[in-house]
Amino acid sequence: MPDALPDLFAPYDEHTQPQVPIQHYAGTYTRNPRRPPFRRPVTRTELTGPLDLSAKLHPGDINLAETNGKPAQGQLIYVTGRILDEDSRPVAGALVEMWQANAAGRYFNPLDQRDAPLDPNFIGNGRCQTDATGRYGFFTIKPGAYPVPNSNKWWRPPHIHFSILGPSSLSRLVTQMYFPGDPLNAVDLLLLSIADREAQQRLISSHIPTQQIEGEWLGFQHNMVVRGRHATPPL
Amino acid sequence: MSALPNSPLVPAGWQTIGPFFPRTFFNEGDNDLTRIAPTAPPTALGETIILHGHVLQEGGGPCVNAVLEAWQADALGHFRHPLDPGHAKADPAFMGWGRAWTDAEGHFEFRTIIPGSFADTSGPRAPHINLGILGSGIMRRLCTTVFFPQHAAANTADPVLAVLPAELRPLLLAQPDGERDGLRVFRFPVLLRGEPHEETPFFLD
Ligand SMILES: [Fe+2]
Repeated sequence: MPDALPDLFAPYDEHTQPQVPIQHYAGTYTRNPRRPPFRRPVTRTELTGPLDLSAKLHPGDINLAETNGKPAQGQLIYVTGRILDEDSRPVAGALVEMWQANAAGRYFNPLDQRDAPLDPNFIGNGRCQTDATGRYGFFTIKPGAYPVPNSNKWWRPPHIHFSILGPSSLSRLVTQMYFPGDPLNAVDLLLLSIADREAQQRLISSHIPTQQIEGEWLGFQHNMVVRGRHATPPL
Repeated sequence: MSALPNSPLVPAGWQTIGPFFPRTFFNEGDNDLTRIAPTAPPTALGETIILHGHVLQEGGGPCVNAVLEAWQADALGHFRHPLDPGHAKADPAFMGWGRAWTDAEGHFEFRTIIPGSFADTSGPRAPHINLGILGSGIMRRLCTTVFFPQHAAANTADPVLAVLPAELRPLLLAQPDGERDGLRVFRFPVLLRGEPHEETPFFLD
């Protein structure tokens, strides 16, 4: 039997979450409802979630920095951190998915038609499962910045997309991780869509001192907190 | 990151999946809730159905490359999760979770079973499937729920459907849509943004 699973889910604090629409991002105007969401009782369907997803979503893609033994272009980085719940408890066994652009700021996805080079040795998506301490880790390359089409020169800062599943439907999280010290962070419209400045800053990773990393990887540390508490707090 | 007891950490801010959620994340069978793994045999419990529809945006155009995640009880209304008091009785051959994405027309499709009803502390839950919708420009998951028209009495008593004004409840009923390969087909259209009488009702995540 694992640690007691989270069973207390309060609504998000709106100031810590993005608000829509977002200028120059057409989808935020056409794909978000006009009607405010209805508050529903939290029933068993919402409290539960799949605990055996790894049978379907296979973990194990943690090295994105090479394909078929050939190295990807770019600065080698190691991104690691812990998935925690609101009670600071590690979320063990969570599935962590990530995807990102290549060093030139282009996605492998055929929907990305920008005129920047593709890297045949970089696909740019990974999936792993957190260990008993809630830790995940990916070896990859630093993504490039890229301009948003028809946006009056809005460039997305280098970022990594994250998707976290488990252990409840209500602890689902999709977010993005940014890199410390990038001047584009302060003017990124997606980061700025979150009103609370501390909440913005929590999406920015931190450097790991180089002495602490084996091999020739630059390290970045990034913890992510998913929603959920336990009704009986730990002593 | 240290926190005093009773001083909870704040959940991370959501961000959109953007336009480039990897197609390579999808494996054969991800949208098939009846199997616990792609090569596993389908569950023998419950009526297998096809649930499909289109995700449309304001103006009626397709929402391309949206991701839909489904979660539901098994045929007898159990979840394989410790917070279900009946979890030991849950169908071991049923996953209950699936993921689909929308094509260029905004079309998605799941294969699943009609879920069972169950008694919840909030009231009697009618057969239902929770859907979470992600997409480019959707900054936070949109949560909605599929109900079935053949369970009219159970729907009337459902505590979640009850939070909607009566005139909006039909928007959450899947529509019978014929048969395919001997399976009943249900259609669940999703309109992300539109006029009040047609926009899909969503629940606070
Ligand atoms: Fe991106």
